[in-house]
Amino acid sequence: MAKNKKGLKERLKYLKPMLMNIIEPFKIIIKDPLGRIGAVILSIIVLIAIFAPVLATHNPNIMNERIEGSVIPFDEDGNWSNYQIIGEKPLNEVAVGLEYELAVADGGFIYEREIDGDWIEYDLGQDLDFLAAAVYQDFKLVGGEAGLILFQNEDGNWEQLDTPVDTNINDIYLFSRDSAYAVGDNGTFLSWNGQEWSQIDSGTERNLREISFISPDDGIIVGDRGTIIHYRDDQLEEPSFRAFTDATFRDLLAVSYYNENQAIAVGERATIMVYDGEDWYTDDSGASRSLNGVIHISENEAYAIGLRGTILKYDGENWETIDRITRRDYRGITFAMDRGYIYGVEPYVNELAPPSGDHLFGTTHLGRDIWSQVMYGTRTALMVGIIAALVVNLIGATVGLIAGYYRGNIDNVLMRIVDIMYGLPLEPFAIILVLIFEPSLWIIIMAIGLLTWRTNARIIRSQVLSLVERPFIKAARVAGASDLRIMLIHITPNILPLAFLQLAVAMGYAITAEATLSFLGLGPPQIYSWGTILHSARLSGAWRTAWWWVIPPGLFISVTVVSVFLISRSLEVLTNPRLRGGRDNAPEPEEPKNLLPNEQPNN
Amino acid sequence: MGKGQYIAKRLIQLVITFLIILTILFFLFRLALPDPTAALVMDGLSAEEQAMVRERFGLDRPIVEQYFIYLRNFMRGEFGLSFHYKSPVFPILMEKLFNTLALMLPAIFVSYLIGPLLGVLLSWKRGSNIEFTGIIGGLTLRSAPVFWTGMIFIMVFGIWLGILPTSGMRTLPYEASSNLDKILTLDYLRHLILPMFTIAIYYLGLPMLIMRNTMLEIMGEDFIELCQAKGLSERKIMYKHVARNALLPVVTQAAITIGLAVGGQVVVEVVFSWPGLGREMIQAVRTSDFPMAQSAFMMMAGLVLVMNTVADLLYSYLDPRVVLKGGDK
Repeated sequence: MAKNKKGLKERLKYLKPMLMNIIEPFKIIIKDPLGRIGAVILSIIVLIAIFAPVLATHNPNIMNERIEGSVIPFDEDGNWSNYQIIGEKPLNEVAVGLEYELAVADGGFIYEREIDGDWIEYDLGQDLDFLAAAVYQDFKLVGGEAGLILFQNEDGNWEQLDTPVDTNINDIYLFSRDSAYAVGDNGTFLSWNGQEWSQIDSGTERNLREISFISPDDGIIVGDRGTIIHYRDDQLEEPSFRAFTDATFRDLLAVSYYNENQAIAVGERATIMVYDGEDWYTDDSGASRSLNGVIHISENEAYAIGLRGTILKYDGENWETIDRITRRDYRGITFAMDRGYIYGVEPYVNELAPPSGDHLFGTTHLGRDIWSQVMYGTRTALMVGIIAALVVNLIGATVGLIAGYYRGNIDNVLMRIVDIMYGLPLEPFAIILVLIFEPSLWIIIMAIGLLTWRTNARIIRSQVLSLVERPFIKAARVAGASDLRIMLIHITPNILPLAFLQLAVAMGYAITAEATLSFLGLGPPQIYSWGTILHSARLSGAWRTAWWWVIPPGLFISVTVVSVFLISRSLEVLTNPRLRGGRDNAPEPEEPKNLLPNEQPNN
Repeated sequence: MGKGQYIAKRLIQLVITFLIILTILFFLFRLALPDPTAALVMDGLSAEEQAMVRERFGLDRPIVEQYFIYLRNFMRGEFGLSFHYKSPVFPILMEKLFNTLALMLPAIFVSYLIGPLLGVLLSWKRGSNIEFTGIIGGLTLRSAPVFWTGMIFIMVFGIWLGILPTSGMRTLPYEASSNLDKILTLDYLRHLILPMFTIAIYYLGLPMLIMRNTMLEIMGEDFIELCQAKGLSERKIMYKHVARNALLPVVTQAAITIGLAVGGQVVVEVVFSWPGLGREMIQAVRTSDFPMAQSAFMMMAGLVLVMNTVADLLYSYLDPRVVLKGGDK
C-alpha cells in the first residue's frame, strides 16, 4: 500500500485531527457549569481510587480489636451495670479496701483511687503484666509476672519486695500489714510475715490460680487441672483432687470461700464446683463459656462471670444467666465492703461500632473498617466502569461504523443483531452468566460489554450515515482511497467525540450494574466493591440498624454515577451541533434532546 | 407500506428474535455445562439411578434432538421440570410473574403519573432555579441504586418509625383462592407502599426529563404561536396543546419501561423479599435449577421484546408524522 512508503511525519498529519477531536470533549465539559461539577467530582473519585491504600486507615480484611480496662460496679439495686472504662489495658484484678481501691493491668499499669475519688494511673513502664492486687487500709500489694511483688511506700511510689520465686504471682490475699498469702504458677505458695516472703510447699507443680480465706487459718486454693487445696491451721490438706466425688480435670480459675459450708470454684468450659462443708461436687449452670471469676455477696447470692459477657447469678440452689451488658470477656469479679466490680477485659472484636475518629464509617459485624472498604471499593467501581466502557465502545463503535459505512445488507444484518441484543435484559442476563460460569469481575464486565454496545452502535451508525454523505468523504472516495482508509482516517476522527460521550454513558451504567450484581452476591467475594459491602451488610442482618454500614457505599455509587451523568449531559451538544456556542447556565429552548444519557435504559 | 403490513412485519421480527434468543440461551447452557445432571443428581445415587434421572429429564439424547424437543415443548407452553421443585416450571412462573406485575405496574403508573406533571412544571419554569434543581434531582434519582434506596426506606419507615411492613407481599400466613384475591386486600396495599415508591422514585426522572424536553421542542413550533395569536391563556396552551402533544414519547417510554421493569428490578424484589419472578430466578441460580432460571429469563426477555414492539407500534399509531417505511429505523 502507498501508505507504508510515506514518512512518519506524513502519518502524524492524520493524528492531529484525532487529537483535536479527543481534546474537544474536555473543552465542552469545562464550559458547561454542570459538566464542571461532574468533572470535579469524578476527578476526586479517581484520586481516591489511585490513593486508596493511602486513604484506607485500616486493612479492610482485618478484624479490628479494641483493648480497654473496664469495670462494671455493683450498684445499690443489686445490679451489675454502668460499664466504665478506666484505662487502655485489660485489668487483671481489682482489690477493694476500706479506704482505697486498686486495679492492676497488663503492661505494667496500676490504677488506684480513694473511695469515690478519681482513678490515678501509674505506668511502671515494665513489660510485665500485673496479675494480682490486694489492699488493707493503706497497705497495697501488687503481684505480677516473674515473681514480682510490689508495695506502695509512704511517698506513693511502688517498691519491689524480694520473693523466693520467679514464677507468675496469680493472686494475693491480704489480712493485715504482716499477714498475707500469695499463689502463683508451678505450685508457688508464699506467705508474708510483715518482713519477708517465705515459700510454703504446696505439694503440687500445677499452676495455682486463686486463693480465698474465711479466716487466717482456713483457706482454699484452686488451680489447673482441677486442683483444689484446703489450707487449714497451717496444714495443707492433701492436694488430692481425686478425693472429691465429682473431681474435675479442667483448670479451675477462681474460688470464693464464704463460710465453712459454702464455697464455689469455677473454671474452664463453665465448670462449677460447689463445696458443702464436706465434699465438692460439680454443678451445671447452663453456661458454656469459660468462667474466670466467682464471688459470694451473701449466703444466698453469688455471681460468676466469664467470657463473652457471661454473668451468672446463684441463689444457693440454681444458676441464672443475667442479660449481657456487653459481649466482652470478663477477667474477674470482686466484692468487699459492700462494693464490687466485674473487671477485665480481653481484647475484643470491635464489631458494629458506629463512626468514630478511629473508624470514620464505623465497623462491620466482623469488626472490619468500613471506610477502608469503601476506599478500596472505589478502585473496583472505576476499574469495572472504565474497562466495561472501553469494551462497550470498541464493539459499539466498530459495529456502528461498519453498518453506517457499508449500509445495505451488512447494515441490515448488524442492526438485526442489535435488535436481538435489545431483547436481552441486562441484570437477568448477567445472573444467567454467573450461573453458567463463576462469579467474577470479568463476568460482570463481559455481561455489560456484551449487552450495552447496542445503544452505541445505533448512535454511531446514524452519525456515520450522515458523515458518509459529506463532500470530503465523497472526495476521498473519488480520489481512490480504500474503504479501510476512509473509515480509519476520515470517519473515525469525526466520531471520536461521540464515542467519548458514549464512554461516559457506558461508564455510568457499568458502575451501577456492577454494584447491583455484587449486591446480589454475584460478584467475586474476595474483592471489595461498593456492591459487595452492601451485600455483606444485608447478609449479616445488621444493616437494619447499622446505618453507617449502608449509607456510605450507596452515597459513593450515587455521587460517582451522577458525576458521570453530568459529564455526559454536557457532552450531548456533540450529538446535537445546533447547541454549540452561546449556551450558559440558563437552558434555552434548544436543549439537548436526550437529557438522560440513554432514552433506552440499558437495564 | 400500510399499517397492517408494518404490524405484521414487526410481529414476525418479534418471533424470530425471540427464537434466536431462545436458541442462543439453550446452546450457551449446554456448551458451558455439558452435563447438567451434575447439578441435578444428588450424591449417593447409583450409576443406574443416575441414568434413570437423566432419561427422565431427557438428558440422554443427542444435543440437537434435545434442542428440538425443547423448542417443541416451549411452543406448547411446557417449560420443563424444575430441578428444585420437581414440578412443571410454567405454573410457578406464571404466579411469580403475576406477583411481579402486581408490584411493577402500580410503581410505573405512579411514576408516569407524577413524572410528566413535574416535566410540565420544569419546562414552564425554564431557566429558573426550580428547573435547575429539577434536572439535578432527576439525574440523582436515577443514579442512586434502587436496592440502596430500598434499604434506606426499610430502615426509616420499617425499623425506625415502624409504620410499614418491609418484606413479602402479604403478612404470613395467608390464604388466597386466586391471584386477584391476593391483591384485593388492605394488607397487600400496606406491603406494596415501600417497594412501589422505591421503584417509582427511580423511574420518575426519565418521564419527567423526557416530558420537559419534548415540551420545549413543541413550544418552538408554529402552531403554538398561532394559539398565542388566538389569545388563548398560557395555562390553556400549556396543558391543552403543548403537554398533550408532548405525551407521545412518554407513552412509548412507559411501554418500554414496563418490559424492562419485569427483569430489571430483580434487586428490589430481593431487598423487599417480594415473591416475584426476579427473586425466583436468583434462587434458581443459587440452587442451579437450570430449567427454572432459563425459563424465567426467557419470560423476561419475551416481555422486553413484546413491550418494545408495542412501543414501536404505539409510536407509529399515535404520531401521524411517522412515515412507515421498511424495517429500518
